[in-house]
Amino acid sequence: MRFRAARSKVVASWLLAGLVLIAIAIVEAPSSSYSHQDRDLPLAGASRLHPAGTDALGRDRMVRVSAAFLLSLGGAIVASALTTAAAAAVGTLAAFSPAGVAGLAMLVCDVFLALPWLFLLMMVRSALPLTTSPAHSAEVTFLVLAALGWPACARAVYRGAQGLRGSEWMLQARAEGLRGRQIVRHLLPNLMPLLAPQFLVCIPAFVIAEANLGALGLGIGEPLPSWGGMLLELDNSAMLMRTAWVYLPIGLLVLILLLLEAIAVEV
Amino acid sequence: MKFAAGLLKRLGRTLAIVLLVVFGSTVLVRFAPGYLSDAREMDPRYAGAARVELAAEAGRSGSLGQMLATEIGGWTQGNLGISRQYEVPVLELILPRLAVTGSLMLRAIVMAWTLALCASLLSSASRNPSLLWQAPAALLLAVPTAAMATVCLLVDGGGPVLVMTLLLAARDFKFLDRTLRKAWRDEHLLQARAQGVTTLRLVRAHILPNIAPQLLALATLSIVTALSALVPVEVIFSVPGLGQLAWSAAMNRDLPVLLAITMIMAIAVTLAGMASDREDQWRAA
Repeated sequence: MRFRAARSKVVASWLLAGLVLIAIAIVEAPSSSYSHQDRDLPLAGASRLHPAGTDALGRDRMVRVSAAFLLSLGGAIVASALTTAAAAAVGTLAAFSPAGVAGLAMLVCDVFLALPWLFLLMMVRSALPLTTSPAHSAEVTFLVLAALGWPACARAVYRGAQGLRGSEWMLQARAEGLRGRQIVRHLLPNLMPLLAPQFLVCIPAFVIAEANLGALGLGIGEPLPSWGGMLLELDNSAMLMRTAWVYLPIGLLVLILLLLEAIAVEV
Repeated sequence: MKFAAGLLKRLGRTLAIVLLVVFGSTVLVRFAPGYLSDAREMDPRYAGAARVELAAEAGRSGSLGQMLATEIGGWTQGNLGISRQYEVPVLELILPRLAVTGSLMLRAIVMAWTLALCASLLSSASRNPSLLWQAPAALLLAVPTAAMATVCLLVDGGGPVLVMTLLLAARDFKFLDRTLRKAWRDEHLLQARAQGVTTLRLVRAHILPNIAPQLLALATLSIVTALSALVPVEVIFSVPGLGQLAWSAAMNRDLPVLLAITMIMAIAVTLAGMASDREDQWRAA
């Protein structure tokens, strides 16, 4: 059973790496642009020039899907790294602080956990300036995800660090005068079994959150491609009648999320 | 006595969380970079002087203290403040929608629990996890709620309850399957099975009481998941509920409405969390 899960993890990692390489090759190919509009070919089917057809504005769907994939995966990885780092910092500090400070830190975690993500995301995202550039909106979307994702992980890290604080080797180390940075240096490798799965679990969660936010019109701004923005195409029944390539983004998104879930699964 | 003290402490913590949610949300929105910008400032029909005056007016009414005072004042008056978008008391907007959302969530949660419990009982009976049960759950979890809702709308098959049920059932199944699989491996259950105790009796008398604390924790998780799915589901299916109102308020920067809905969500989640945390004490009482 464990062997099967470990094997699926390796296969999923290789498949995802392959998809990333293909997407980079498509985006970096000469003359490919996610924003270039072919005005003569809106809503075109597959052709040699546009292998997955074009959208309503004549933009190459293959290039846009590839760019959305890279943007979303890159953003989710960075946001996940930030959120894991924040959780590690808060959890460790709370575990090694007096009970009052730890209680306060956990109260703050409870406050964040009491709110469904999407509401907070909507609240912050909607209060951005009306003139926000697409690149800035992408940065803000993933930064907000990182800022809201840490409390659940911080609680787990707090419990883990608390256990390590009371361990014999830690008591011995502290009794021998180990302080601050030295403790962290020894503590972090021991917290890795907690932090690594948290990091991996957050990536698909952030990709889904970005897609949901984009589908509500509160995600990454046009002309930057995003999963959410492309899911909006499914609302256009006229477009669905003309080409089946409209389903490419949702199909690919589901495949990528399945691969990410397989990588994040506990072995 | 100990139970009452624990309950009071927990209620105090819930109240503190709700107040911190209000304060935190107000600070978050007030200091978001575009809170003071007004859509009218982008309208070319307004003269430069008018736009400067609009910005100045927003700046004057946007002090944090004043915003908090307005919010708390609205709550103490019992109308939850006045909506910026509709210019009516927020309570008038929320009350009818609360019933719609409550009914949608209740139906989805009950159906999802029934589905997940049946599926996990069947799935956990086999020695190894079967793809027959795991694959649909994994697939459902990999589809964003908005996409699932849009596809349902396109094929004209299923409504908001079905989408929320499928999403919740997939999550609940994942958790329940793992919990039940662990429970089935308990030594006393293996002994009871060897002695010929019927499966139905084992489930009713041994497994369900044993996993009751986990089930309560799952109930809290179900509420949080359902609340998160509310917005895309209600917006895409045009259900006049709280999720749709929150989305409309977010699009129109209607802070009083957003804050009131956020507070209702926080109360629902913390109360549900309180019930699951105190399960042992409820039972002792």
